[in-house]
Amino acid sequence: MDGIAGRKSALTWAVHISVLLLVALWTLPTAGLLISSFRDKDQLAVSGWWTALTTSTQNLVGRADGAEKQVEVDGKFVIAGNLLDGPGQTVTAFGYRSQEPTKFKAGEIADLGDGRGLTVTADGDYIIESDLRIEGDRGQRIFYTAAIPPRFSLDNYRSVLGSGGAGRAFVNSLTVTIPSTIIPIMVAAFAAYALAWMRFPGRALLIAVIVGLLVVPLQLSLIPLLTLYNKIGAFAGIPAKGYVGIWLAHMAFGLPLAIYLLRNYMAGLPGEIIESARVDGASDFDIFIRIVLPLSFPALASFAIFQFLWVWNDLLVALVFLAPQKEQLVLTGQLVNLMGSRGGDWEILTASAFVTIVVPLLVFFSLQRFLVRGLLAGSVKGG
Amino acid sequence: MKKTLLLGVAALALAVAAPASAELMFKPGEDARFNWKSFEDFKAANAALKGQTLTMFGPWRGEDEKLVQSILDYFRDATGVDVKYSSSENYEQQIVIDAQAGSPPDVAILPQPGLIADLASKGFLTALGDDTQKWLGENYAAGASWVSLGSYKGKDGAAALYAFPYKIDLKSLVWYSPENFKDAGYAIPQTMEELKALTEKIVADGGKPWCIGLGSGGATGWPATDWVEDFMLRTQSPDIYDKWVTNEVKFSDPAVVGAIEEFGWFARNDKFVDGGAAAVGTTDFRDSPKGLFASPPKCYMHRQASFIPSFFPEGTKLGEDADFFYLPAYAGKDLGKPVLGAGTLAMIMKDTPASRAFIEFLKTPIAHEVWMAQSGFLTPLKTVNVEAYGNPALKKQGEILLGATTFRFDGSDLMPGKIGAGAFWTGMVDYAGGKAAADVGADIQKAWDAIK
Repeated sequence: MDGIAGRKSALTWAVHISVLLLVALWTLPTAGLLISSFRDKDQLAVSGWWTALTTSTQNLVGRADGAEKQVEVDGKFVIAGNLLDGPGQTVTAFGYRSQEPTKFKAGEIADLGDGRGLTVTADGDYIIESDLRIEGDRGQRIFYTAAIPPRFSLDNYRSVLGSGGAGRAFVNSLTVTIPSTIIPIMVAAFAAYALAWMRFPGRALLIAVIVGLLVVPLQLSLIPLLTLYNKIGAFAGIPAKGYVGIWLAHMAFGLPLAIYLLRNYMAGLPGEIIESARVDGASDFDIFIRIVLPLSFPALASFAIFQFLWVWNDLLVALVFLAPQKEQLVLTGQLVNLMGSRGGDWEILTASAFVTIVVPLLVFFSLQRFLVRGLLAGSVKGG
Repeated sequence: MKKTLLLGVAALALAVAAPASAELMFKPGEDARFNWKSFEDFKAANAALKGQTLTMFGPWRGEDEKLVQSILDYFRDATGVDVKYSSSENYEQQIVIDAQAGSPPDVAILPQPGLIADLASKGFLTALGDDTQKWLGENYAAGASWVSLGSYKGKDGAAALYAFPYKIDLKSLVWYSPENFKDAGYAIPQTMEELKALTEKIVADGGKPWCIGLGSGGATGWPATDWVEDFMLRTQSPDIYDKWVTNEVKFSDPAVVGAIEEFGWFARNDKFVDGGAAAVGTTDFRDSPKGLFASPPKCYMHRQASFIPSFFPEGTKLGEDADFFYLPAYAGKDLGKPVLGAGTLAMIMKDTPASRAFIEFLKTPIAHEVWMAQSGFLTPLKTVNVEAYGNPALKKQGEILLGATTFRFDGSDLMPGKIGAGAFWTGMVDYAGGKAAADVGADIQKAWDAIK
């Protein structure tokens, strides 16, 4: 017994460790993204997020104040100031030529020529002393090596949320997503009930066709669909691009999976319940509304989560079916545009990932309790 | 739950929605640098358009969108037209989708002549007419070359002016840090021979002369095409360049292979490039110029178009911390001062009074001057006041543009998309990776033969 128990515990450990490893593997990139989202653009360009948590030594370039700031002290012209821009930083070395940025240790005096001396102390204070009046409009460049403690800012979040139209885009995204989630569920639930519990000729073929529709690639059908919509819309006097179009598109692309999922789930419900309801004189509509629909809540909720996430994250369908103007731009489109004409401002992406994730998380947590509920929790009572 | 969610969303929306104000960037009549008369005349001529809508699709997003909006504000103010500008990351694809599906914007602004030629040949564009063609020829410096840039074959096979060049980028620029040059005692090279000598001198002094990065996501390789085009113009006559763009001179031609090898002289030498030749293909073009400002400098020179300062570190002052010089031509070859450029062209996709008025608006000096006074805008329009350029760097670029003896548009943009935005890019990545120039030329030519 002991031996078996021992083996068992060793196995459990292995399971725990591998689970832990997998969790770390999955969350590490997210953690990196989170840390990156608090770093500024220039930091992101030069070092990885893992360096952000510890003090790092950096070679930096500063500039002394210009000649207009000089003061005359005991016959010498002096420009003084501080290079550092945050607490906890220390200067270890400095230089005044780009070729030798670390020539002098902090506190030493560098001879700039023409009777001028420069010194930088460890706390970043610099003093330029000159025998003659200092000329020239630009201050002396000072190269320095400094130990910089971790530094974080909310700038990326500010630029995502503060950009013109972010709020509007948020509302637009909800305007697209909520109907695009509810409409297919309503249609699919009816269809699934009919396909699962009503007998009519050609039912199996219809199911096969719907399953077959699952493989139609969205990318292929986008343009023909838009052309069709525009033609019908022009006939009926509906503007070419708008919310109705994208709701229909998302509904069409979501329906095959929705019907397939819900039908399989409903077909699995115990037939006795439905038959006893029939015996009691319930019509199909009553059975659907009173019995099947409440029992199918877990499946409805899980499809709702799928569809919501897919529509919320969608960029392609929105670009094609909605006008790209601010009035109809969805959040994903807005964020892509924030990256700039040449796509270089990718620091925006780090923050925007966490901004967009909020709504799907809310939806997931508010719907997931329906998933956990037992399948036949109600049917025992009903039976 | 949903109610609180919606309430929260509404509150958030109110909190972050910035007020959309249409304040004009420069008040009409106030600054003498601007041609306000052209604005008032345009206003008087187009007052009847009030209440109309104009949808517009362009390549500018982020900071650039703010700039274009500031120009559009003047159009809105003058005409009362509600201009709805939009852009998207994949505007090249989107404009095709929209045109084919029958829901194009009223006005499109695109930087790829190859794409415009395609749209024109399918009948999606409206010809701008003889008046505009005449106007371009008379009012743009080197007018004839701009007219030919905007002229394409329509659906009926007849060539006509379909696109109006507006906003030019200069490509033949080498960026450097004047203070690093001063520290090291380097002078700005006036000829290609001097530039090559300087490159070797920097290496002898223990530095790295160049930062070159070709990385650009799905478009990796394009910065190298600019190098090759610049060397085509510096080793061959403009005539050969034009033939190369239309494939009358083949990619495998010694002239083209020679230009590729000129680029290789700089990019394929471990001593010449920061990170070594192997880093050229993988370094992102947006990060590449940052080496100029590192301490100690990772490189001394960076060849890139006039847009690149937006990727310099924050706070970099143009003209002081960073400056540029014209990528010089060979003294030994009598080819003058060739300049390579790119730019955006405006075209009408739906012929409405408002879109016609917009093209007229682009003819007013004020539509150019307001952008000139901000940043990143060059114009060949002769009637603008060059004093309006917002900074000395722009003014200097404007002078390079006006002083050019030869101006040629970015060749890769003129070639068919499969070449100019495909085989040419990947070919250059292969070349940077060590493939022989003749093989690369033959590969690209094979791709071109395949689409003929």
